[in-house]
Amino acid sequence: MAARILAVDDSPTILEMIKAILESGGYEVITASDGNEALEKARGEHPDLILLDVMLPKLDGYRVCRLLKFDQNYKSIPIIMLTAKTEEQAMATGIRTGADQYLTKPVEPDTLLAAVAEELSKAKGQ
Amino acid sequence: MNEWSGSKDLTYEEFVRFRDFIHAASGIYMEDTKQDSLRISLVTRATRLGLSSFSEYFAVLERDEHELNELLNLVTINETSFFRFPQQFEALRTRVLPEIMANKPDSNRTIRIWSAGCSTGEEPYSIAMTVIDAGILSLGWRVQILGTDVSTRALNVAKKGEYPKRSLLNVPSEVLARHFEPVPGGYAVAPHVRSLVDFGYHNLIKEPYPLALMGNWDIIFCRNVTIYFKLESTKRVVSNFFNSLNEGGYLFIGHSETLSQINDQFEAVEVGGVFLYRKPKTRRGIGIAARKPAGAPMPPAEPPALGQREAAVGRSSRTTGRKPERDAEQHSAARRPRPAPRASSSEAQAPDPVQAARAALEEGRVAEALELAQRIIASDPNNADGHLIVAYVHADAGDYAAALESCHRALAINPLLPSARYILGIIYQRQGDVVRAVSEFKKTVYIDDSFALAHFNLANIYKSQRKWDAAAREYENALRALYKSPEGAWTEFLGGFKIDLLAKTCERSLLECRKAMGVS
Ligand SMILES: C[S@@+](CC[C@H](N)C(=O)[O-])C[C@H]1O[C@@H](n2cnc3c(N)ncnc32)[C@H](O)[C@@H]1O
Repeated sequence: MAARILAVDDSPTILEMIKAILESGGYEVITASDGNEALEKARGEHPDLILLDVMLPKLDGYRVCRLLKFDQNYKSIPIIMLTAKTEEQAMATGIRTGADQYLTKPVEPDTLLAAVAEELSKAKGQ
Repeated sequence: MNEWSGSKDLTYEEFVRFRDFIHAASGIYMEDTKQDSLRISLVTRATRLGLSSFSEYFAVLERDEHELNELLNLVTINETSFFRFPQQFEALRTRVLPEIMANKPDSNRTIRIWSAGCSTGEEPYSIAMTVIDAGILSLGWRVQILGTDVSTRALNVAKKGEYPKRSLLNVPSEVLARHFEPVPGGYAVAPHVRSLVDFGYHNLIKEPYPLALMGNWDIIFCRNVTIYFKLESTKRVVSNFFNSLNEGGYLFIGHSETLSQINDQFEAVEVGGVFLYRKPKTRRGIGIAARKPAGAPMPPAEPPALGQREAAVGRSSRTTGRKPERDAEQHSAARRPRPAPRASSSEAQAPDPVQAARAALEEGRVAEALELAQRIIASDPNNADGHLIVAYVHADAGDYAAALESCHRALAINPLLPSARYILGIIYQRQGDVVRAVSEFKKTVYIDDSFALAHFNLANIYKSQRKWDAAAREYENALRALYKSPEGAWTEFLGGFKIDLLAKTCERSLLECRKAMGVS
């Protein structure tokens, strides 16, 4: 069965393109466009992996990540964070939020797919 | 190998099952009279695979595209010859090439010719020889010829470029001497001819076409190919050709074929007793002026478009024979946000702050873009672009009230700014107000039909509403816009992603819509 990925971004244009990349990699994709919706879907649908944009309205990506990673029920879901170039320094904080991997936007489709595959196989191995 | 267990007779029901499948997958429709020849092809393939019944073979066919190609190799008829119907090549040399050359701006000296359904290559090579004999290469023109077909077997012959003596009987001896080299048993097409021709696999029925085929053709040959198709399919293929041709471009069809009942957009042109079909030139209406925000520098007409287009061709993995170093160069040209003004350009440009802000936005340096834009507004409160960039940054950060205000300021300065409408659409879309979002995106494309992202967002909304028909149309419009004027793609709204990802996304979604509509 194809792995299910929750992709979170507040731009519908970009979300649609990320979805296309992931689907071309054979994954099933669900989407959310703000932090609250992301939490809701993460808890309700228990995806195999979450791809999380940092800049999100309502609840930013770091907080979403922290809330999930400090919760026994969800901390095993791998999270890949997408950060803007200027947020590179902020990644230090990001690491403390417990995300599994960080990618800077704009990300190459192949890089994204490779990171997803890597995290999924790590998660499986555990 | 297994024994063939079932009957070797193909029942009519079985025939229809295969026929419908082949028709859906390739557009080739076999009349009832073809039942026996199909049966022979099926038994040939199935035995080769060690299968023992038609139904087992059908199951393989359904899940294995490679096997479909193998079968198509047997069922398509690849009949062709060098200079088939010579009058058409004469018309190409004497009328079509000179006309197309005369219509091109000085900055563009490339002619692109597509031989669709090229079979074993005789047609595209004949075109290449005609072009060479017309003497235009020595005048500094570049000619690219692409041959495509669904028969991989035919394509392999084409790429090899070697032909037995008997297939060259109607080639005049001086042509043979100039453009061929003898090889054991026959002749090979000479390297100076071959170097003009690329080959690639393409199924004319399978839509959407890859971006590389979707536009910028000057001449398309599609002769004796659609004779196998049903009328509906032929209509779609011809309309795709129409959209892919440059204005003033020509379509060559088989001499016994006609476009009546199929397409009424082309104008028929008679040259020396043969009919050719030309895509009319449209007069540009108003709206051109509104294409770029007031004050934004117009990119020089040709270089960026060319860079993008050729990058698009290089992108198609199936086009063979492309030189990698040229590709790399073109890709980087395509990525450059704004081309540096050329020395010859009459309107040499000073570094433009708007340009710098847009570039910053495009590269994801949002804070810098905002700062630059605010500086622009401070020195010129009536600079609509400045307000627009501010609007975009606010919208991106989720501050919709501030974004709306900046948009309205820009629109107060110039109500026909497509990108202001677009940003309004984005804001409404993010606020969940789909009705207003649709209305703004529609206004955007009304002002500027080449605003691909507005078509794309419209399409996404329609798709989420399961309005497959409308969505498919908008994805097509987006692809067309992307192809025709990549410089109109407003890449700064792409969040750093590349245009070809947008194009691929459109293609994928378009397929999804077509599937949902029950069209294959
Ligand atoms: C009779 S040949 C014509 C060759 C050449 N154009 C000429 O006129 O001499 C027809 C070619 O169309 C190709 N063909 C059939 N269906 C096709 C499709 N759906 N897409 C692309 N090519 C197709 C066949 O494989 C065959 O090579």
